[in-house]
Amino acid sequence: MRFLQNMTIKHKLISITLVTCVIALLMAGASFIAWEWMALRQNMVRNLSTQVEMIADNCKAAIAFGDVKDATEILGALKAESSIVSACIHNKKGEVFASYSRDKTGGATDLVYMPRPIELKKSGYVFENGLLNILQNIVLNGETIGTVSIRSDLTPMYVMLKRNTVTTIAVLLLAFLAAYFVSSRLQAIISRPILSLATVAKIVSEQKDYSTRAQKQSNDEVGLLINAFNEMLEQIQQRDLVLVNTNEELEVRVKERTAEITGVNEQLTKEIAVRKQAESTLRENEEKYHTLFDTANDAIFVMKGDKFADCNIRTLEMFGCTKEQIIGHSPYRFSPPTQPDGRNSQEKALEKINAALAGQPQFFEWTHVKYDGTPFYVEIGLNTFELKGGMHIQAIVRDITERKKAEEELENLNRELEDTVEKLTLSNRELQDFAHITAHDLKAPLRAIGTLADWISTDYGDKLDETGRQQVRLLVKRAERMSGLVDSILQYSEVGRVVKEKTKVELNELIKDVILDIGPPDNMEITVIKELPTILCEKTRMRQVFQNLLSNAIKYMDKPKGRIDIDFGENDEFWKFSVADNGPGIEAKYFEKIFKIFQTLAPRDELESTGIGLSVVKKIVEMYGGRVWVESEIGNGSTFFFTWPKEESEAANNDIKLEANLVG
Amino acid sequence: MRIKIHILMVLTAAFSATLAVPEVYADTASSREYQIKAAFLYNFLQFVDWPKEKIADANKPIIIGIIGDDPFGNVIEPLKDKPVEGRKIVIQRFKSFESLKKAGENDAAGAKQNIKALGECHVLFICASENKNLREIVESVKNSGVLTVGEAEGFLDVGGIVNFVMADEKVGFEISIASAKHAGLEIRSKLLRLAKKVIQEDAASGILGEEKRDSA
Repeated sequence: MRFLQNMTIKHKLISITLVTCVIALLMAGASFIAWEWMALRQNMVRNLSTQVEMIADNCKAAIAFGDVKDATEILGALKAESSIVSACIHNKKGEVFASYSRDKTGGATDLVYMPRPIELKKSGYVFENGLLNILQNIVLNGETIGTVSIRSDLTPMYVMLKRNTVTTIAVLLLAFLAAYFVSSRLQAIISRPILSLATVAKIVSEQKDYSTRAQKQSNDEVGLLINAFNEMLEQIQQRDLVLVNTNEELEVRVKERTAEITGVNEQLTKEIAVRKQAESTLRENEEKYHTLFDTANDAIFVMKGDKFADCNIRTLEMFGCTKEQIIGHSPYRFSPPTQPDGRNSQEKALEKINAALAGQPQFFEWTHVKYDGTPFYVEIGLNTFELKGGMHIQAIVRDITERKKAEEELENLNRELEDTVEKLTLSNRELQDFAHITAHDLKAPLRAIGTLADWISTDYGDKLDETGRQQVRLLVKRAERMSGLVDSILQYSEVGRVVKEKTKVELNELIKDVILDIGPPDNMEITVIKELPTILCEKTRMRQVFQNLLSNAIKYMDKPKGRIDIDFGENDEFWKFSVADNGPGIEAKYFEKIFKIFQTLAPRDELESTGIGLSVVKKIVEMYGGRVWVESEIGNGSTFFFTWPKEESEAANNDIKLEANLVG
Repeated sequence: MRIKIHILMVLTAAFSATLAVPEVYADTASSREYQIKAAFLYNFLQFVDWPKEKIADANKPIIIGIIGDDPFGNVIEPLKDKPVEGRKIVIQRFKSFESLKKAGENDAAGAKQNIKALGECHVLFICASENKNLREIVESVKNSGVLTVGEAEGFLDVGGIVNFVMADEKVGFEISIASAKHAGLEIRSKLLRLAKKVIQEDAASGILGEEKRDSA
């Protein structure tokens, strides 16, 4: 069929015509031959029937009178018909009465050619093995007295048939040739316009020349087709024009879009680069975190319930095992039966885990054992986090074995230190006691020496020369100085040694007493800037502080007109008192030194100073939780400050006072 | 001997083809001969056309007359059961022509009547015993349309129509067309073909002469 489809229309038309013709001719020829064959057969049967009937009629008498010779003679007449092979007359009993054979060779062989009776009582014919057997009953007086049968070959029929067939075939061939000739001429009527249309269509499709038009040649369907084709071309041509315009517009738009897309693309490329960067950063971070996780100095592991789910390398190092040996086990597998505080490890661990799961991050110390059982100390932080719908516990474990050791050492050291301090305090107290006792004990002999020297000066002053008197005076002075020194030491050592009860002290009164005690020179003016408060303190000590500070100011005064101002300030916690003078001032480098015992800035002989006063002040103030310091400029005098903590009741009192003021 | 048997067989076959022969008959040459002759008599009926007036009444039987000493005996009887063209066959026996004439002498009218009865037969077989009266018998039925059958030499010469002859122990017959014509009978050519001798139209003139079939 494909072969048919690929044929040109011309050949198709010719083929169709020819095939139709051939089929028609063949059918006609075949029917003709078939009909001819039938007719010939019938003809033959008819001819033979006539003959057999004649014979049957002719031999009636012969049979009736049993005249074989006559019957044989009658049959012998068949010789004229060459196609008759044999003939036979049977009598009523079915026995051969007379016979005839074309190829007579004589004797019994004749019987071979004898047509046998088909059926005695029935006339008829049958074609058998290319032979026609025909049988006729011989009827005499309504009674069948025998049969005549003739066997004929079909030669005459075949001869006729052959001749007719040959003629038919010859006619068929001629008809076929005629059909071919006619169809190859006539096909042009249909194929030519189609072919020309095809040619035009080819030109149009190859050269894109839509101005070409097909030539109309007929008014049939092909003509319509050509018209339609031309119309179509017309439309295409018009549309082509529109299309060209549209194309130009489109090109412009495409360019614009391309530019846009290029822009977007570039942006996209940038974005991709940024994203890649971000991804690589992310990857790096991930790696970093992973590295961090694995290389962390702390063991980090994740638990699901009370079983290890994952861990870092440090964990494995810490527990001295492989990953397979730890994953799936519980932390108390890696713990001693009990913790240092005596609790069961498993019990305690579960408690911690449950607390962590309840949302309370845990931080505690723990004793673990390595896989081989070696114990070590750790600090564990437990946190929970949710992962894939399940609560997990993250544990960060720090090996604190070293720290623990250090702590123990430190503790030991501390304990030693405490012992030492204790010893030291004890010895200090002993020393203080010793100093006090020594000073106390020294006073009596000193007084005796002073009294004795006085007595010498009084009793033997006239007996002594000037040098002697001078030396005695010096002795008295030195003894007095010694006595002052001892008093000072006593004073100093007494600070903190004897604690007396605190009382309310009216400081204004106290200052007045102190000034009276000191008896300042006339050129000194001591002013209390504003009225001083009444505070709860040990009166003797407070008096000592002010006395020492004022004495000190007076002692070192170098101005002809000395001035001392006493002032105070306060806040919630403490009082701040100040004693300012207009003396020589102190270099800043001595600000600390002046508060140390036996330190004086002036030469010993210039001023009568023991170097204990400021150190006593410092000792007292610090004993009561205050602070003492100095602010000074050379030539512009010095201001000594000290603070004195308020007692709780005082603060309360103040509040009440404040409230009273508010009410009042 | 072999040939003889063969011929006999053929004869028997031919006879039996037309007439069933009862088995009870003695199987002698004579009886066989008359069996065949009886069958022939019957077969003649089918190849001979009688004048119309002779066979006008289809209800009347066909009469086969036998005159003289009957040589057939029972052999002829089966013919009665075999109608020809729907007509029954009747066998009528006449003692002798002499006795018929005698009966006529006594009573002229009766004799005439009896002789007339001969003329009513379709076939009249004249037995050998009547050979002396052949001419007279033939004369008496000459114009009555009777197929006269004899078995005597010269029967045809005295005006007989069919005469049985024996040749090679085989029953044959001779036919005189002239006598048949005189009797108003038409004999079919098929029968004529089988005749051993046919005497043509005018035996006396002899113009046509007699045709004699050579017998093998």
